[in-house]
Amino acid sequence: MIALLLATGILACDNAPKRLPILGERDAVTKEVDGKMVTDTVYNTIPDFAFVNQKGDTVTQKDVAGKIYVTDFFFTSCPTICPVMKRQMIKVYDKYKDNPDFMILSHSIDPDHDTPEVLNKFAEDLGVEGTKWEFLTGDKEKIYDIGQGHYLVTAKEDSTAEGGYIHSGAFVLVDKDRRVRGMYDGTSEEGTQKLIRDIGVLLAEYE
Amino acid sequence: MSNKRKVKAGWVTGFLLLILALTSCQSSEELKREQFYSEGYQLYTLHCANCHQADGSGLANLYPPIQGSSYLMRKADLVCIIKNGLAGEIHVNGKTYNRPMPANPKLPDLEIAEIVTYVNNTWGKDSTYTPTDSVTAILTRCAVK
Repeated sequence: MIALLLATGILACDNAPKRLPILGERDAVTKEVDGKMVTDTVYNTIPDFAFVNQKGDTVTQKDVAGKIYVTDFFFTSCPTICPVMKRQMIKVYDKYKDNPDFMILSHSIDPDHDTPEVLNKFAEDLGVEGTKWEFLTGDKEKIYDIGQGHYLVTAKEDSTAEGGYIHSGAFVLVDKDRRVRGMYDGTSEEGTQKLIRDIGVLLAEYE
Repeated sequence: MSNKRKVKAGWVTGFLLLILALTSCQSSEELKREQFYSEGYQLYTLHCANCHQADGSGLANLYPPIQGSSYLMRKADLVCIIKNGLAGEIHVNGKTYNRPMPANPKLPDLEIAEIVTYVNNTWGKDSTYTPTDSVTAILTRCAVK
């Protein structure tokens, strides 16, 4: 009997609908709709953006429309955590590269050095073809702003840091409404496996 | 006790002392190797594994493997590269790599010796440690960069 109850409990747990949280600051906005005051929640949303990818093409919010995506911040000459993050991101890429509703955006925080040509060579050497995984460069301030202001990560110049920049090792999961739904430690196997599972959970929301 | 017997006992004692001396000598050597190896493992994890990976396999065409690399047999090059970094094209295990490796100017000779001991005992043919003074000697002969 106890075993049966336990089994039911476990099954119930497994069957409970999973939903990822919506992360970041939120505001309550009260506005008038049809003569009535209505209070609505405004979530942290990734604003419109325009960066240049490894092929030299402009990538904007239109390219991620109708897709979920994972994003991170790195630079190609990084001697510390970036190679570890890229090694982990390859696992995410290999798992979902054939899914049309999925993308990866890796932003360079050293855009002066990381031109589209440099990024293209980096992507090739990493074994990445096509633009399912976008390596982005552009205006430095805009990259730092979107990173720190909206993707909830640290990304900036710091002459005291090894390599000249500090940035977090986070992988950020973004939904089709451009809201942050998960933050993962991209330098660890555990964080990467959790991200891989959560991508599945998020994709299932749209089925 | 006869004279003959005394001589024999002397030989036996001498032999035993010799054995003792040899084994203690060997075990201090072995102790040193183990000490360098475990320190080297920590240092490798800290300074090298980000790019070359914990298992020495490198990363795609970005960073070359250490496992199976002929650089392991070129100890002088290995020591100089760890200290001074590297730029330009290199060939490792039949593949071409061309990304700069940063220098490690702050690594003391002892720590370089420990890293070299670790990589060579793990992926190379060494079964002994690399002494610090050999690293110091090699470093005076590195090509000026």
